[in-house]
Amino acid sequence: MNAIPQLVISTLLLGGVYALIAVGLTIIFGVMRVVNFAHGEFLMLGMYLAFWAFTLLGFDPYLTLVLSLPVWLAVGWASYRAVMGPVVNASHNVQVFTTVGLSIVLQNLALVLWTADVRFVRTAYYAVVVRIGGAAFNVAQIVAFGIAVALTAALFAFMRWSYTGKIMRATAQDRQASALMGIDTDRVYALTWAVGITCVGAAGALLAPIYPVYPTAGLQFVLIAYVSVVLGGLGDMAGALIASLLVATVEVFGSYLIGTAWKEVLYLLLFIAILVVRPAGLFGQRGAEALGT
Amino acid sequence: MKAVPAAAVFFAAAGLAPLVVRDAFLLDGLVLILVWGSAAAAWNVAGGYAGQISLGHSAFFGLGAYAAAIVVTRWEVTPWLGLALGAVVATAIGLVIGFLSNRLRGPYFVLATIAFSQVLLIVGSRWRAFTSGSEGIPVPFRPGFWTLGIADKRVWVWIVLALAVLAYLIGVYLERARRGYQLAAVREDEDAALSLGVPARRLKVAAICASAALTAACGALWAQYVGFVDPFYVFSVDLSVRFALAAVIGGLGTALGPFLGAALITTVETYLRAQFGGIGAGLVGIYLIIYGCVLIVVVRWAPQGLVGWVEERLRRHGLVGARP
Repeated sequence: MNAIPQLVISTLLLGGVYALIAVGLTIIFGVMRVVNFAHGEFLMLGMYLAFWAFTLLGFDPYLTLVLSLPVWLAVGWASYRAVMGPVVNASHNVQVFTTVGLSIVLQNLALVLWTADVRFVRTAYYAVVVRIGGAAFNVAQIVAFGIAVALTAALFAFMRWSYTGKIMRATAQDRQASALMGIDTDRVYALTWAVGITCVGAAGALLAPIYPVYPTAGLQFVLIAYVSVVLGGLGDMAGALIASLLVATVEVFGSYLIGTAWKEVLYLLLFIAILVVRPAGLFGQRGAEALGT
Repeated sequence: MKAVPAAAVFFAAAGLAPLVVRDAFLLDGLVLILVWGSAAAAWNVAGGYAGQISLGHSAFFGLGAYAAAIVVTRWEVTPWLGLALGAVVATAIGLVIGFLSNRLRGPYFVLATIAFSQVLLIVGSRWRAFTSGSEGIPVPFRPGFWTLGIADKRVWVWIVLALAVLAYLIGVYLERARRGYQLAAVREDEDAALSLGVPARRLKVAAICASAALTAACGALWAQYVGFVDPFYVFSVDLSVRFALAAVIGGLGTALGPFLGAALITTVETYLRAQFGGIGAGLVGIYLIIYGCVLIVVVRWAPQGLVGWVEERLRRHGLVGARP
């Protein structure tokens, strides 16, 4: 089977981008205990930003990505202050509805402003193919993978070694105790939300040269991110990374073996099975889901 | 509670309107309000009373729609049988989902339901041999009540009104009966309810089953009314969100709330569609931007929705007594 190398590398490339989306979702859950149902919409906005910067200003999506990082931090911070902050200590149902409301607003804002037309970012290199051994790859995919891995690694390092990262992890472990230690948990949540949104906004810029852009474009990716994040244990960054690769494996090999039409069913069934059998994920703590955390 | 006279006025007005109103556009709006209201009330049984927030209820709606459409087109029997079949299948699936996801709380349950409706979306749009795949199923029009081939929209108003009243009465039952109080106890604090001997698991599963069956019935009638089943619509997350939106804005865990929510949302939507249909179709999304904002505001400041807000105002002015 000489298709194997192609499949393996496809898996890696796909998994890298999934990981960046999933990491943003899991960091928000880990620290704030909120599942962000508007995550896909921020991804969609990231794709649109790359599209408009490319179409109107002629910016390359990768240039947009770098320039947009502070923009996303600001958007994340502002949306936390306006929407998420007031409900961060509310019940789960209130938080679910708040993020769902945010998702409805953002999705339809895109629909009203930019219509439901499917748009494409046609860079000069979108059809350029690289050959590695017997396998062929799109340049945009390889670049997306490289940047996604670099950003994810940077986030890991930030969480692991920086003082702010330590504060964020402390808050994730025990919000009361960290508040007693003098940590301003509200600011930590704002920062966490902003960082999570920045990850997914950057992922949008990476996806724009590869996938079509439309108001509901986020849904298919965010479903995969939910699968990865639950599989890896909600809130577990390393788990999300490994699970993203697992999901990509299921997707790539599944579509090779049983055809692209049914590949989504595979990972959705895997998702439901995980939720039923081990909702804490492969690496998470047992019982977390029943505690309502 | 005190909302019963209001509900009586609401449903009586809906039932009498066809005697006065002849305009097909208005009657169509009324049918849609009642269908979406019933679906939201059905969602409310699981989401509002039992606290099992689902964003995958379109799965049951789609099951009902497909059951009715397939029964009619493939086996050429009455769509009423399809409605019953859809309700039975939805109950069975509700049973399975209820038991399997019983441990899951909050966002985990939401994720499980979204995933489930997506599975049905893929099956509905890809299993060409059985569901006609992504093209959807046009429902043939065969005149007669038994075949639900009814051109007169007034009759449709009365048919869906019967369903709406049924959905409302289930809500009233849950507000007054012992089981309803037990369910509320489970919603508020499952562990405390369990320690008092409330059969939490059974109640939650029963609520999900009833909710699923009722939603499927809505789907079956809707498919026969509209005459077309599109898998990407009936199984969409957007549709699930629509049910939840109407219920939360109207009043989570209130019998009349979902109908008020649906009336508000459907009216604005229909108006915008009539205004901007065709070229400016994208502008119709404005109503969802508004309601998305309303949703965020409502869950924060008026968790009992419109009904709770109005009750609160009335009580403050001494117009109604305090809650029992």
